[in-house]
Amino acid sequence: MIRYIIRRLLLMIPVAFLVTIGVFTLARISPVDPVLVFAGEDRDPVQLEAIRHQLGLDQSLPIQYVAWLTHALQGDLGRSFQNHQRVTEAIVERLPATLELGAAALLISVSFALVIGIVSAVKRNSLVDLLSTSVTLMGVSFPSFFLGVLLILLFAYVIPGKIFPPGGFVPITTDVGDNLRRLVLPAVTLATGSLALNLRQVRSSLLEVFGLEYVRTARAKGLRERAVIVRHALKNALIPVVTLVGIQVGAIIEGAVITETIFSWPGVGRLVVQAIPSHDYPVVQGVVLVSALSFMLSTLLVDVLYARVDPRISFESAAA
Amino acid sequence: MAGTTVPLTLGRARNERVASTIYLLRRNPRMIVGGLIVLAWLFVAAFAPIIAPFDPIKVNVIDSLQSPNATHWLGTDDLGRDVFSRVLWGSRISLSVGLISVSIGLLVGTSLGLAAGYLGGKFDLIIMRGIDALLAFPALILAIAITSALGPQIQNAMIAIGIVAIPAYARLTRGQVLAVRAREFIVAARTIGCSPLRIVMRHIFPNVMNALIVQATLSTAFAILAEAALSFLGLGPQPPFPSWGQDINYSQRYLPNLKWWMSVGPGLAIFSAVFAFNFLSDALRDALDPRLRRSA
Repeated sequence: MIRYIIRRLLLMIPVAFLVTIGVFTLARISPVDPVLVFAGEDRDPVQLEAIRHQLGLDQSLPIQYVAWLTHALQGDLGRSFQNHQRVTEAIVERLPATLELGAAALLISVSFALVIGIVSAVKRNSLVDLLSTSVTLMGVSFPSFFLGVLLILLFAYVIPGKIFPPGGFVPITTDVGDNLRRLVLPAVTLATGSLALNLRQVRSSLLEVFGLEYVRTARAKGLRERAVIVRHALKNALIPVVTLVGIQVGAIIEGAVITETIFSWPGVGRLVVQAIPSHDYPVVQGVVLVSALSFMLSTLLVDVLYARVDPRISFESAAA
Repeated sequence: MAGTTVPLTLGRARNERVASTIYLLRRNPRMIVGGLIVLAWLFVAAFAPIIAPFDPIKVNVIDSLQSPNATHWLGTDDLGRDVFSRVLWGSRISLSVGLISVSIGLLVGTSLGLAAGYLGGKFDLIIMRGIDALLAFPALILAIAITSALGPQIQNAMIAIGIVAIPAYARLTRGQVLAVRAREFIVAARTIGCSPLRIVMRHIFPNVMNALIVQATLSTAFAILAEAALSFLGLGPQPPFPSWGQDINYSQRYLPNLKWWMSVGPGLAIFSAVFAFNFLSDALRDALDPRLRRSA
């Protein structure tokens, strides 16, 4: 297994290298001169040249890339043009809020998907099944920002008592109750899209497994239906669900971009959105790099986990 | 004798295929529902200047913030602009971004996939590593990064979403090419001296078409959603031009005053368009996938 992981990590290197080139190029194709952004109001030509030199922008592109990559490998993603804060520091500062939101959304999504998905597959063509397939179809087509707006309208303004606030964040260390109250609407908004996908996966995997011989055998030998589902069917049916959820873990920052913007949630997603209008490229570059690398790592973890939970997949054949 | 039998048989086979496809289309209500909504939106986008009752950008402060009524079916915004007219005009942006970005992804991705699959070797290796690198980015993050680098404009949103769509087409096409490359009819074509370009375009490409049609419909749904998300973040067309995502963002400031109609119109428009393309792609997959067709 270790050989497989090392091999996969080695295979990731050229892709990660291309990713860094992509991230670096993105910041360089912009028509806006980063020196002007960095200088702000100060437009003295001598000063501008000094800043250009300080940022290393007077060097050729390959040299700039090597310098940027060397720093990035040491965890230094540069400084924000806006407030001159270190980008790594800004990301690390906001990561807990994003992770909290992502974890809550994933918890909602997976638990609802499992419960409704199992009931839906067991009671196929029932009312629950019909409802769950409708939710699936609606969930993948419903824009998360529209859902967020509707939830704010309903729970923060229309329903008397203002059950949930329209946005904002209170650290869990300051006030647990207020933190959770503010977490509900953004977490539900973020969970809906993945809930639809997970629900569809749980239902279809279970239906597929229900048709297999070993499940028929389990039923034929007189096992109770609950044991057939939990002990036999679910174990195999959940393998593709694990893959899907693993990929969703890696894409937490992506999902958080919109949700954090709607609910003024101070996470990494909002950080990048706030950096865009002010052309704060180091921040955009940093967040894009971190989200791409975390996405790649989660894919690797999913592959390892997949091979681990499914004995039919051997590491040798997966590596080949 | 043989010369007349072969075309007749081929002709009959083709007729049977067309007939069975039409039969499946008629039996598939999702195809009809999805197709009709898509056609309705295409009609609205094409004729928005004629069917929209008001100018979508004309400010009319006297009529501001009116709830839905007989004159303004979806109410008006704070500047007195008719929300219904803005929704109709907004379809032009959403559908054009959807269709053009999908065309970019389809053209580039399919060409790369065909080349990588047919040529193989180092060419395949280089292209596919590039595709892997594109896939390493979460789709929306990549679209945001490209649009923010190029500048918030509709053309840049199209390019960004198009680039994001490339990997799906490239991988799909390459997989299909690899599946048919070693088949007898390709070997036969090569034996009789067909050029690689002719083999790819005349013999391989038609075999990939069905899968590409399904993928194109599905990615149009994604493209509409992505455009709306970019516009919501201020990276799409700029005000005062109507855009569904941007209008929802703008409506947020009036939520405390319960001016719900400002967001409900564009929100339902995005939902119905994305839903229709998703529905259509599901139905097309059922109709065009030979395995599903056989089981049907």
